[in-house]
Amino acid sequence: MNTSLDPLFFFVSDTFDLPLLFKGKHIPFSLQAAPQKNETIRFFDTFDWKGWSQKKAIVHYGSRLRIVEIKNGRELGSASLRKKPQNFFAGNIAEKTIASRLLDISKLRAFICFGTVETEVKRWRVLDENQKTVASIELRSIQSNSEEPATIALKLSPIRGYGKELETIAERLQQSSDYKEKSNFLDFYTAVLAATGTTPAYYSPKPSLKLKPGNTIHESARQLLLSTLEVIHINEQWIPQNIDTEFLHDYRVAIRRTRSILAQLKGIFPHEELYRYKQAFRELGKRTNNLRDQDVYLIQAKKFKDLLPVTMRDSLDPFFADLRNRHRKELRNFSRYLGSEKYRHFMKEWESFLKNETLPDSKTTPDAEKKTSEVAVSTIQKAWKKVIRHGRSVSRIATDTELHALRLDCKKLRYLLEFYASLFPAKTLLNIVRQLKTLQDNLGTFVDLSVQQNYLNDYLSHLESTTHNIPFAASLGGLVTALHHERENVRSHFHSAFDVFDKPETEALFNQLLNKYR
Amino acid sequence: MKTIALYSIKGGVGKTASAVNLAYLSSLAAPPTLICDLDPQGASSFYFRIVPNKKYSSKKFLKGNKKIYDNIKGTDYDNLDLLPADFSYRNLDIELQEEKKPQKKLKSNIQELNTEYPYIFFDCPPNLTLLSESVFTASDFILVPLIPTTLSLRTFEQLLAFFKTNKLDTSKIRGFFTMFERRKAMHRDIVEEYCGKKRFLNRIIPYNSEVEKMGIYRAPLNAVRPNAPAAIAYKELWEELSNEIDR
Ligand SMILES: Nc1ncnc2c1ncn2[C@@H]1O[C@H](COP(=O)(O)OP(=O)(O)OP(=O)(O)O)[C@@H](O)[C@H]1O
Ligand SMILES: [Mg+2]
Repeated sequence: MNTSLDPLFFFVSDTFDLPLLFKGKHIPFSLQAAPQKNETIRFFDTFDWKGWSQKKAIVHYGSRLRIVEIKNGRELGSASLRKKPQNFFAGNIAEKTIASRLLDISKLRAFICFGTVETEVKRWRVLDENQKTVASIELRSIQSNSEEPATIALKLSPIRGYGKELETIAERLQQSSDYKEKSNFLDFYTAVLAATGTTPAYYSPKPSLKLKPGNTIHESARQLLLSTLEVIHINEQWIPQNIDTEFLHDYRVAIRRTRSILAQLKGIFPHEELYRYKQAFRELGKRTNNLRDQDVYLIQAKKFKDLLPVTMRDSLDPFFADLRNRHRKELRNFSRYLGSEKYRHFMKEWESFLKNETLPDSKTTPDAEKKTSEVAVSTIQKAWKKVIRHGRSVSRIATDTELHALRLDCKKLRYLLEFYASLFPAKTLLNIVRQLKTLQDNLGTFVDLSVQQNYLNDYLSHLESTTHNIPFAASLGGLVTALHHERENVRSHFHSAFDVFDKPETEALFNQLLNKYR
Repeated sequence: MKTIALYSIKGGVGKTASAVNLAYLSSLAAPPTLICDLDPQGASSFYFRIVPNKKYSSKKFLKGNKKIYDNIKGTDYDNLDLLPADFSYRNLDIELQEEKKPQKKLKSNIQELNTEYPYIFFDCPPNLTLLSESVFTASDFILVPLIPTTLSLRTFEQLLAFFKTNKLDTSKIRGFFTMFERRKAMHRDIVEEYCGKKRFLNRIIPYNSEVEKMGIYRAPLNAVRPNAPAAIAYKELWEELSNEIDR
């Protein structure tokens, strides 16, 4: 007996006639038909296909947004959504169950409509002699965009306690000469995706290439930089559309990674060119700073408001309205820059520089021919020791300057670990990164809170001193104070966060990691 | 898991009508919901067109948990399931006497349904029996429908007295008025005196012939006639109740 409540899927041919199958006196069931409908299925995922990778399908049809477990077709939640947005955020969905499922997939990334497909659906309830519904059937013809004939999928949904009935119905269906094959939700979903002409893509903002330890560092560095350049290119197309903040974020990280490799791999590229590119990427990064700051405030708008007493919250609204305005202008400027000849030319140049395989003159670049593993070990070792050295010398009160500087040291180490990840055992690396992360989180939060305070102070000092602005200024002041308290709290935890990293176990992990090539 | 019994010593006061409609409303708001039909006459099972499996019986019911779980059936409404009553339930009282702790039986028998159903409703048969005592222990709330008559109030007092004598928790008990008819002076007087008092809910279910037609619709009134006066009253009653439950 089938006790599972997962729906069953079948493929049938286009002459399939369900009512015919249920005709005849000896059949204990009758059908109750719902009017035939045309339904557009729209499917969504985040840009990096997080839903797909967590085996969830996010689809919209029949005025409802649904989230479905791909492995068994179980609907995990649904919500009425009459508007047909091109993209939306998990946080925009009011219904709680589905919102929390979507939040689990991604808080920050927008769910983008990646495709639509036209379908025609007929639905029936299967009733027993008491007119009780014992199962329901959905027959859906999926019209592909190409010339191919429509795929016809039949979904048989069970009702608890009617397993025997379900079996009888399933058997009847399979006796039909138009029955093709048993399938599952994945097949069905794949058919839908295929009809829209989309296939799940792989995207990761981190370099995922496999380095060879014996290759020259010149070769490996170029590979790393090229794959980072790819991330830059992917994201730059999406930034102007203002869909979510992660395109800019990934773009910026890729730039920082690029700068970090350039800064840490000395003696590999000719000095002059190196200097020029370093400068150029620094400039490029700077161009995005304001945008990122604005993004961060807008993402955290709710948190900021919640830091204030209820009576003061609305007074902050002009601040966010103003930010949104500035953000719009800034984005327009930066998008224009991304489309400019100057930018394109620079990227072209950079790409051909990276694609140039010939080893530079060994006089100017003495280290270019070193083995990748050797450089990996020495640079990681150096960056790690630097974090330890600087971290230990942080004073008891932990000044702003000390923490800002240490944050950069940690980032450098983190990027190196990520660059060379493919050379080392994943587990050891993961453990190291985990311990580094506690420290990085502490420092990252500290610096973010500092930047935010400065920004607000600066904003305040430019505010016109009119009576009209009094509540506004008061709320900004309140915010600065709240952020200050939070920051001081984070500061007070610095030393214990550092101790998590600076301990014999971590040292042992580093040695274990680096010993692979020492 | 919250367990809510529709119970009264008196018969024909609206226990089943209330259980069916409140459970339906609960399934919309806080899914999924289970309704356990405990009356051998199987009125609530009938309203949902559900008959028990052939092999299901009071014996299985007394085994509890998995045996109960396997016999639960889905209604025609999403997120609303029902455990149908079998005619053999008429023997439940005798069978319960043979159990070690009959009063605790129901509570332990439904324990494993905890993860699946945040809300369980019991539609109880009338009278005060061992099964009722088991229901009292298993329920977080005991809703007592009362037709606004002195006789109804008397049985309500009897119930409270029984709870006190047996050291049961009277704070679980909530009376509410059903089949209220404004034209009747006694109804008006009683409702005015008791409504909203300690152990009484505020909402009143009016007399409404649409409720009787549920036997024809064989569906919760709130599902088929949501604008009927009684359906509207049930909706408000559920809101009042769920506020108390969540507290
Ligand atoms: N608000 C109402 N207005 C009119 N008729 C009602 C109302 N509530 C219930 N009834 C009718 O009164 C009769 C008894 O109701 P119901 O079956 O719900 O009571 P009960 O307490 O479950 O009875 P029993 O003790 O037999 O189980 C039914 O015919 C029902 O349709
Ligand atoms: Mg009844």
